[in-house]
Amino acid sequence: MTAPLSSPTAATTGPGPSARPGSRSAPPRPPGPAARPARGATGDRLRSLAPVLVPLAAVLGALAISTVLAVLAGATPAEAAAALWEGMVGTPYAIGSSVNVAAVLLLVATGFLVAHRAGLVNVGGEGQICLGAVGATAVGTMLPASVPAVLTLPLVLLVAALCGAAWGSIAAGLAVRRGVSEVITTLLLNFVGAAVLVLAVHEEALLRQPVTSSETLPQSAPLVEAAHLPLLGVPDSPATVAVVLALAAAAVASLVLRRTATGIRLAAVGQSRPAALRLGVPVDRLRFSALTTAGAGAGLAGGVLVASAPHVLDDGLSSGYGFSGLVVGLLARGSFTAAVGIATALGFLVSGGINLQLAAGVPASITQITESLIIIGVAGTAIWSVRRSRTRRRAAPRTALGSTATARTEVSS
Amino acid sequence: MSTTHPPADAGAPGALPGSRTSITTVPALALHAVTRVFGTHTALDSVDLEVAPGEVHCILGENGAGKSTLCNIVFGALPPTSGEVCLAGEPFAPSSPSDALAHGVAMVHQHFSLVPTLTVEENLLLGRGRARLRPDRRGLVVRLAEIEETLGLHVDPRARVGTLSVGARQRVEIVKALLDRPRLLLLDEPTGVLGPDEIDGLLATCRRVAAAGTAVVLITHKLAEVMRVGDRATVLRAGRVVGTGPLAREHGGGRSVPAPSGPTGSEPSWRDEELLEAGDLVGLMVGRDVSSLDPLLAASVGVTRTRAAGAAPAHVARRTAVPDDTTPPVLAVHGLVVETPDGARRVDGVDLEVRPGEIVGIAGVEGNGQSELVAALSGALRPAAGTVRLDGQDVTRARPARRTALGLGVVPEDRHHEAVVAGLSVTTNLLLARLHRFRRFGLLDRRAMRAAAAELARRFDVRAASLDAPVSALSGGNQQKAVLARELSLEPLRCVVAAQPTRGLDLGAVDDVVAHLRATADAGVGVLVVSSELSELLVLCDHVHVAYRGALSAPVPTDAPDARERVAHLMTGAAA
Repeated sequence: MTAPLSSPTAATTGPGPSARPGSRSAPPRPPGPAARPARGATGDRLRSLAPVLVPLAAVLGALAISTVLAVLAGATPAEAAAALWEGMVGTPYAIGSSVNVAAVLLLVATGFLVAHRAGLVNVGGEGQICLGAVGATAVGTMLPASVPAVLTLPLVLLVAALCGAAWGSIAAGLAVRRGVSEVITTLLLNFVGAAVLVLAVHEEALLRQPVTSSETLPQSAPLVEAAHLPLLGVPDSPATVAVVLALAAAAVASLVLRRTATGIRLAAVGQSRPAALRLGVPVDRLRFSALTTAGAGAGLAGGVLVASAPHVLDDGLSSGYGFSGLVVGLLARGSFTAAVGIATALGFLVSGGINLQLAAGVPASITQITESLIIIGVAGTAIWSVRRSRTRRRAAPRTALGSTATARTEVSS
Repeated sequence: MSTTHPPADAGAPGALPGSRTSITTVPALALHAVTRVFGTHTALDSVDLEVAPGEVHCILGENGAGKSTLCNIVFGALPPTSGEVCLAGEPFAPSSPSDALAHGVAMVHQHFSLVPTLTVEENLLLGRGRARLRPDRRGLVVRLAEIEETLGLHVDPRARVGTLSVGARQRVEIVKALLDRPRLLLLDEPTGVLGPDEIDGLLATCRRVAAAGTAVVLITHKLAEVMRVGDRATVLRAGRVVGTGPLAREHGGGRSVPAPSGPTGSEPSWRDEELLEAGDLVGLMVGRDVSSLDPLLAASVGVTRTRAAGAAPAHVARRTAVPDDTTPPVLAVHGLVVETPDGARRVDGVDLEVRPGEIVGIAGVEGNGQSELVAALSGALRPAAGTVRLDGQDVTRARPARRTALGLGVVPEDRHHEAVVAGLSVTTNLLLARLHRFRRFGLLDRRAMRAAAAELARRFDVRAASLDAPVSALSGGNQQKAVLARELSLEPLRCVVAAQPTRGLDLGAVDDVVAHLRATADAGVGVLVVSSELSELLVLCDHVHVAYRGALSAPVPTDAPDARERVAHLMTGAAA
């Protein structure tokens, strides 16, 4: 919070001394205009930092509000902050679980970004995660022993991705064939997907572990050993190779979108369907595959979730990862590098929040509030700064812009 | 209607004995150093303008010259970045269009703002009568009668707007603008959608409205209209006023309605200024000497006045070998029907043939099925009946990609939505349809793409700061040249369908487009041009069909001496 507060003071004190020589050398001129260039210079430096400072202020503000909420919930700010910090980066275990969460978010976000390139918004990450997890569990618990161990994990993850893709293809088919908004269909299919998961873990005929007593939990049997995601090998850390998988997926998606014909065609479809159609781009096929790919990304995330400890499927498997992944994708605004950074930040926050509940007795929902506040703050300030830069450019003196304007007309004429 | 009268009653006919004396002194509208900046683009640069009451002041300029921005500033839709607007001598800074309306400024937009399902009366009453619960129908009838008596503008209050012709709808728009007795009437490109007869009616109305004491500002890029109706003209180029002055009276009787005293009353003050002629205006608009333009095109816009009708000399000069009727057509359309989802026939049994090396035009007022015909030819719309054959192959239901592979180039009508992907780079846009040729190890060979794009840009003179810049950064003319570069460089290329290829382009760019299409035809490609610019079609084409209500007329050869009259006649729906 301190950074933006200090900036106006710097701006107001800045021009004071530097304006003086100007007004002295030209006494008849009023001091106002003479002072302007100096303020402009200071202001420019601040403005160049604004893209960093403003979101930072938003994050700090969100944290401040969350601290107040934590205090209201009965913890001292110091306790809450310590618990949060501990849960985020305090121990190798904390870091490891944060990285695991980040990997899941990045997988969902990668799929989201692919669909988004084609102009489709996939809100159905949650349902696709559920279906992917159900598929992965089915394979991971029922695989015959004759299948070689090397193939088990790839098979589990492949089926997870395929199930997620199949779930996404329902919305994709409706969007392409019938023109139904994929925002609506993917969103509503979330509820159906969650219900499928609940049904699967409650029905013994499906995936529920054998009921031996009244205390048997409604969850699946654990996945076979070979289907467990290997750990990264960092001591005391639960970090799995999921993060490698997620980074690889993001890298491949980024390369495909930027450097291949398919990627460029997807962008053309996303920006102008009529033009893409006119140019012979298979618009329907690309839109269908893009949304299906988004489903595959989220489904893979579901598979990663069940293939990580405790290796069972229960009905609380995806606690909002689908929506958090969507947020990562939206905030990244098309950039995979940004997606990696944002997924990491959110991953650490989510995992810190779990510890907040465990250690400080503060409800974990406070971290969800924090997360939401940060998102609102960052997105809001992004909109604000875009608007501000527009009005500033409009208000800027004409002479400064005259040269660029003439340059433009020369080019265009 | 008394509730809706603005304070500005001075402009009302017969109610201005006092204001008559002030005509020469106080301009109805004055702009002083008005500047408007959008981002890095200066749309209006220190513009000064004075419009006297009772005059028709034409504002000319190519697209992007700042005409519409100027209109929007006066009408309150945009605030100026700097500068001052004065209305009848008073500083005027409307906060919104309704504020401008309250001050006696009315505007007729290029696109109609009428509700088609309502009657004319309901449309006219929309948005007014806030002071009472019930709309003032009686007052409206009185006012309509008044307008009809003084201005000769007749509208039927009970007609449903959706059933009216385009010209009648525009009349309703103008009546709507005049209801409140505005001091200033802004008309933004009002003739774009009208047929020749309707344009005559509109221009006559302009004169009458001005004669009643209202200042009329007519925004247009069509010179012929300006010369017929304007008292004064101001030419904008790239946001600056490059010329202003009274217009030379080309033909004294050309004023469709003798103005009693309004415009002539203020004429003496102009005597000492130099009169502007049509040629001067073109030079000012384009910013280069008229003689550097394609002579045929220059003639068609009335600059040299060598050919008032027909295009016989053009034909002789252009065509080296006109294909005879025995050559098999490269594009053959038979009995084509295109229906809207609700069953209305937009294209109704069209027969059309284009032979190799031939340029065929489709003229007609917009909205007579031309867009749907082009969409069906390009594969964007599926026809309900009929066949389209390209080089003998049936492509009636083929995908756009197959048509392209068979050699059909299409220059779509809506450049921003259909022809280019505005946010992608110039290179990508040029090569989007043939990306598969640039694959190397699964990835795109960007160096080869750049080289190919640079070669295309050079051949078609596409000027871009960078070929990696988004295509939206290019001027309209360069965007269109990029589209032509892409479509005309197809291999093979057998036929080109160009819809409104010159729309929104300045004369220089029109010149380039015409030259490219002509060169393409000379190379043995069949060319079909759909345009609402009759002059261009007459210059460019071998023969012209006229679209009317979804059907095409028999072709009119453009070398016939009375081609222009015949086509203009057909555009009104009459049989040839």
